[in-house]
Amino acid sequence: MSTDYAYDEEGYLWPFFVFTLTFIVTLPLTYMLINRSRDPAAQFQRVQTGYRHDQSALVDTLRKQEKRKDRKIWLMAAVVGGWAVMAYTLYLINTTVVPALDLWNPYDILNIPESASEKVIKSTYKKLSLKFHPDKAKPDASKNETIEDLNARYVEISKAYQALTDEEVRNNYIQYGNPDGKQSYSINIGLPKIIVSDGAGKFVVLLYTLMFGVLLPYLVGSWWYGTLRRSKEGVLMESANRLFRAYKDDIDEGGIVEALSIGQEYEELLKGDKADDGLSKIESRILAEGQLSPLAGGLSVKDKRKLEDMESGPRRKALALLWAYLGRVELDDPGLAKAKFEVAPIAHALNKSFNAIALAYMNTAPLLASYYTNQLLIQALPPKASPLLQLPYFTPKVVKAVEGDSRVHTSVQSFMDRPDAKRRSLAVGKGLLTEAQYREAVNVAKQLPYLRVAKAYFKVTGERFIIPSSLVTLVVKGRFVPPGSENVPEVNELDLEDIDPAEDDLDAILGRKAKNPVKKDENGKPIADKSGSSDPITPPLAQAPYFARDHSPRWHVFLTDSKQGRVAVPPFTFAQFDCPVFEADGKTPTFAMQTLKAQFQAPPQAGHYTFVMHVVCDSYVGFDTKMEVTLIVEEASKAALMKDEEEISEPEEDSIAGAMNALKGGPAPAAKPKKLQKVEEDSDEESGTEEEADSASDTNTDTEPED
Amino acid sequence: MFDIDWRGLLVPLAYVFVLGGTFMTFSTIYRKRKAVQSANLAPWFGPHLQRNIYLSLLHMEPEAGSEKAPKVPDSIIRAALLRRAVEDIHRIIQIRTAKASCSSLLQRGSVGDDLWQRFQRAEKEMEEELRDVVMEANALAPNWGQTIFQSANEIAANTVLRERMDEIKATVDSEKEWWEKRRAGIQTEFMKELDEAEKTQIKAGSEDDTVLVDTNTPSATPSGASKKKKGKK
Repeated sequence: MSTDYAYDEEGYLWPFFVFTLTFIVTLPLTYMLINRSRDPAAQFQRVQTGYRHDQSALVDTLRKQEKRKDRKIWLMAAVVGGWAVMAYTLYLINTTVVPALDLWNPYDILNIPESASEKVIKSTYKKLSLKFHPDKAKPDASKNETIEDLNARYVEISKAYQALTDEEVRNNYIQYGNPDGKQSYSINIGLPKIIVSDGAGKFVVLLYTLMFGVLLPYLVGSWWYGTLRRSKEGVLMESANRLFRAYKDDIDEGGIVEALSIGQEYEELLKGDKADDGLSKIESRILAEGQLSPLAGGLSVKDKRKLEDMESGPRRKALALLWAYLGRVELDDPGLAKAKFEVAPIAHALNKSFNAIALAYMNTAPLLASYYTNQLLIQALPPKASPLLQLPYFTPKVVKAVEGDSRVHTSVQSFMDRPDAKRRSLAVGKGLLTEAQYREAVNVAKQLPYLRVAKAYFKVTGERFIIPSSLVTLVVKGRFVPPGSENVPEVNELDLEDIDPAEDDLDAILGRKAKNPVKKDENGKPIADKSGSSDPITPPLAQAPYFARDHSPRWHVFLTDSKQGRVAVPPFTFAQFDCPVFEADGKTPTFAMQTLKAQFQAPPQAGHYTFVMHVVCDSYVGFDTKMEVTLIVEEASKAALMKDEEEISEPEEDSIAGAMNALKGGPAPAAKPKKLQKVEEDSDEESGTEEEADSASDTNTDTEPED
Repeated sequence: MFDIDWRGLLVPLAYVFVLGGTFMTFSTIYRKRKAVQSANLAPWFGPHLQRNIYLSLLHMEPEAGSEKAPKVPDSIIRAALLRRAVEDIHRIIQIRTAKASCSSLLQRGSVGDDLWQRFQRAEKEMEEELRDVVMEANALAPNWGQTIFQSANEIAANTVLRERMDEIKATVDSEKEWWEKRRAGIQTEFMKELDEAEKTQIKAGSEDDTVLVDTNTPSATPSGASKKKKGKK
């Protein structure tokens, strides 16, 4: 059987082919384009404030510039081109006349309906053959008929008749669509004929070579070297390497700021004469005497020495600019001021890489310092500065008036916890805040998401005890209580429990977002979460008037071993929560209980482990929580005993289950139920919460109720 | 026999040769470049000053005019070797602590390949350096090689400790000054208050926040709460 490949000579097939192909490519690209051009920050809530400092305009333009950078010209061109091609091919499809494919249909030839019975078929055939038999009919000259035409027509009619009556012919017709049996068929390739016609062949080969010999290797190569050029954290690989070298076990925030200036990114930002331009001016400004700190840039004497030891060049300028940014030092030069705000986001990105490096070393101090540096970069505060400077209109002078000459800084929370009159008397005054400014500052402070931890405990899903090497969940329950909130409701004890999903609730077990029971009603029965909104709930964007990017705050939860100064459980990061932080108006806090969960493996030995739990917010200074939690790991055998006692009917000694139990090292079960009872009582005394719990796993080992 | 169409074969043969040739040139150029790159990688550690001092002491050049090189006392050479060993201890500690994290970061793609290459080279160099120091020590005094790194380790640890002490001591003056000022301030306020109380004969309020030393009592922070809880236990 020969098959012919014909090209699309009539030009009615290739538009379909091209249309489909373009459609497949263009649609995802269009989606990407639309997704990108939508401002990702727009769907976040913001802290509502009218506060503008004197360089807000500059910061805003830098933010906008960054957003514009995201837009890709080639993507837009590709999408426009794709839709144009699609429109053209669609036009072609609609206008090109498709050559009619005549299907051989015996009913049509006999001119009878397809439902005709055999009788009708026969009678029609007879009628037609009487009329069209070549012996009877005469060629009609007016219709330009010949005798061959008549013959052919009669043959067709008899074929049609046979197809409907004769078994064999009918089979042929059903199988192949033709009474004569299988016909040769042709496949048309949906490419225009021009492509393969003489002369064009060379160009096609050339195009092919260019695509597969040049474009494909280029794309693969640029992708591969692109991934090699940047580290996983998105900074240049060379910067990451340098940061690794700059890591020290005893590095502090100032040291990290100094280390961050090492990035290769700054060499690109401060190219050519920008490398030293205005360096002496910046340095004289940041090393001038400051109001709160000895130096205006907020750097310590050690940091100053490091800066002065550096050779001049992009690195020294970057560091000087960073200190100018952190110290909020006025530079009086539009170019320098712009550069000052540009270095901070770069340092922020580099800090991400440094954070990964500090985490790899698993030392607490550098990791914490890295998080604190992140806060400082976002809020534009020097190390050891007062957290009060985060509030709008708070100048060093105001801070001084509030703090007095205390060595311990007043945090935003403790400032806002004071009665309004006292706050006012401290902050409002001549040379300090005006009444309106004070009100704005309080307004902003009351919108800052401060996560107040209510309780933190460990549990193993579905178990009563934590046995060695089991998968433990650290459950942190906390509420967003903005500083200075009034009428904070009491913590509902039922909110503090963490209820295991029902055993048949696959969605919850697999970690899918589902309406699993998250609360208990008064009778202790779980009630399903009715809200059912699957949108991720995020806190408002960080209130960071100096940081030239939009940043969504994150919370990092990790456990450290305070004696060794090492990280015990690496950080879990939370940027989304299960309950809204603020009401729809974006201002009123909901005080809903949030649940943060982190899973890790329990230590292989039983015992009491005391960890220090850190909950660090990466965007606000002084909003961190540090508390002790104790993980009690019980012997596996003890937990197994408990379980046997409770759930499984005791296996008979001579049954298979009994034998299995004995093999597992358990005691002969029927022998001593009394002792079992005792063990249970003992453990009850220890953790003391078994009684009330039915579906909650009660391995609460530490309880820290909120006051 | 077969009649081979040589002209027809030419094209596929040429194709194979061109393809193979391209691959060969590419791989040789690529390898050469890689070799040059890794040879040009900056060393992990800076110049080893202590070693240079030791070696120059050991191989003193005779001064111009005189025949013999100046004789360096044995004790000085030993001290120089000990200094060298101390520096080696610093470096070896750095390498030991960095190794695990460097390899894990490399696996995750957080640092680059050339950093790892530099690191491995530094490790190898350090091994040789240690061996060299032990041999030198044995040459200077019998069996010193076994103990030199112990003493070097102690010296290194002591130095670190002393540096931190100095750092803390450096803050003494400013702290003292601040505290004096603070005490004076509190005293005057107290006196003022007492005077006022005497004058008006009215009891002053039981609390006056400006006098409190710690203005930010963490009344609502959970750390404070946890302490209270602990107290109950």
